[in-house]
Amino acid sequence: MNLPEPISKMIDGFMRLPGIGPKTAQRLAFFVLGMEEEDVIDLAKALVRAKRDLKRCQVCRNITDQEVCAVCRDKNRDDSIICVVQDPRDVIAMERTREYNGRYHVLHGAISPMEGIGPDELDIPDLLKRLEDETVKELILATNPNIEGEATAMYLQRLVKPFGIRVTRIAHGLPVGGDLEYADEVTLSKALEGRREL
Amino acid sequence: MHVEQLELTQFRNIPQLELTCPEELHLFVGPNAQGKTNILESLYVLAIGKSHRTRSHKELIRWEEPAARIRARVNREGRSHRLDIRLTPQGKKVSRNGVEQRRLSEYIGSLTAVLFAPEDLAIVKGSPQVRRRFLDMEIGQVSPSYVYHLTRYNKLILQRNTILKDISKNGKEQEMLLEVLDEQLIQSAVHLWIKRRGFVDVLTRWAQDIHSGITDGKEALSIHYQPSGEMDAGQEEEALQEQFRQTLQNLRKQEIQRGSTLVGPHRDDLRLAANGVDIHTYGSQGQQRTAALSLKLAEIELIHQETGTYPILLLDDVLSELDDSRKTHLLEAIRGKVQTFVTITGLEGIDQGTLDRARMYRVRQGTVTELR
Repeated sequence: MNLPEPISKMIDGFMRLPGIGPKTAQRLAFFVLGMEEEDVIDLAKALVRAKRDLKRCQVCRNITDQEVCAVCRDKNRDDSIICVVQDPRDVIAMERTREYNGRYHVLHGAISPMEGIGPDELDIPDLLKRLEDETVKELILATNPNIEGEATAMYLQRLVKPFGIRVTRIAHGLPVGGDLEYADEVTLSKALEGRREL
Repeated sequence: MHVEQLELTQFRNIPQLELTCPEELHLFVGPNAQGKTNILESLYVLAIGKSHRTRSHKELIRWEEPAARIRARVNREGRSHRLDIRLTPQGKKVSRNGVEQRRLSEYIGSLTAVLFAPEDLAIVKGSPQVRRRFLDMEIGQVSPSYVYHLTRYNKLILQRNTILKDISKNGKEQEMLLEVLDEQLIQSAVHLWIKRRGFVDVLTRWAQDIHSGITDGKEALSIHYQPSGEMDAGQEEEALQEQFRQTLQNLRKQEIQRGSTLVGPHRDDLRLAANGVDIHTYGSQGQQRTAALSLKLAEIELIHQETGTYPILLLDDVLSELDDSRKTHLLEAIRGKVQTFVTITGLEGIDQGTLDRARMYRVRQGTVTELR
């Protein structure tokens, strides 16, 4: 049976989202049909607004609906540390720790030549600009611990060397609260490599 | 280690099979394409968790059946374990003693097996790629960090080659990025080199004795591990890293010109020589076979050394490829210690003593009947 065009268009739309196949898309579409009109309008507006109004923060390149994001506007934060992350979601993760009170910089990706992502495709020039005045004393490289993330971190480390600031890399190894016996061998040997004197 | 009992359900062309295997030597006899190799394959899957013939589970399941199952009772140093693998098109479920094993790495080692198939003769006469695969498979079985660095290394080569090509094509200056990838590459390459060096050293010690035995002391086998770029894999990690770093620097121009990485573990080779003469180039057919046989038998001893128990041996159609004296030697070398499963098209040329102590089966269109 051919579905009426408005609903098949909606199904096609849902299917473009990650993790959603034809069946889920159909379920979502029919659910939307049953929703209150007001809620549907709110949802549609939210989608459009997010797309239209969100931009990248002029300072740290994180996503924001203003020129400068909330973290960068916050006067109580430490200007001498910048934590460099790959993705806006990483900022959210770091913020959840409530341990970090410095600034951020979002690269929007990691170096992977195979996928056509070189240093030029990342938001690096703005980072360098931030290092020019001498407020920043430390750069924490918090890119992912995989090949691309490591390459990005090593690249940045070399790039900022002339600035003479302290460059650190987040540790990797055992998850806290985990049992040693359940850790996989590679993680365990990484943890062993990064052991510290007590 | 030996298999006490094997039960197959809807595996390949075998609808149902139950074997009790008290004996040390089991011969599966029959013409080609009847299902002999399928039985050995099931034992291999039971040990390694995947087939040596195919990557897809689906092919292991009998035509139009929903699932296949391999069950076995394995005895390791006097203790009996039940192993069970269920294969469906969606994937496999592995359990030991009725407990499902979520991670294959925890299951592997429950049964160790060495397979010797006609393709293995190519270890000696085939391309370097075959020998590198031999190294990777064997070291990978005992070292998870090797597998990690190998995967990482292969990906880095692709990343690095992309940049090299980009530079040669578009003339874009990317020296800093290249240096970063070099450092990553050096780390993994050196890990692989050191592990390979160590493995070949141990393997050589066993293979030399065995080879000398097979040839009645007439031939001395030597195995030369040849890391690409004449790296000296015997030196300390840091010195080796420095040597590779230097080599990459020296080759920079050439690599950019060619758009690919010219030195590294992906270009290693093994050279086998008998009495100092290269077997790959100058060896007779027979010498090449003997060398391959020596390597396989050495592998058995190596697993024994690493795990404290002998693996089972699967001989797929290779007995017919060996002449009588090599055949006898092979069967003598494993006698009394290694449980062996053999496929063979006919019994000609197998000595009576061996036939007397073996249990024999005829395999025809997926059904197996015991002879005698």
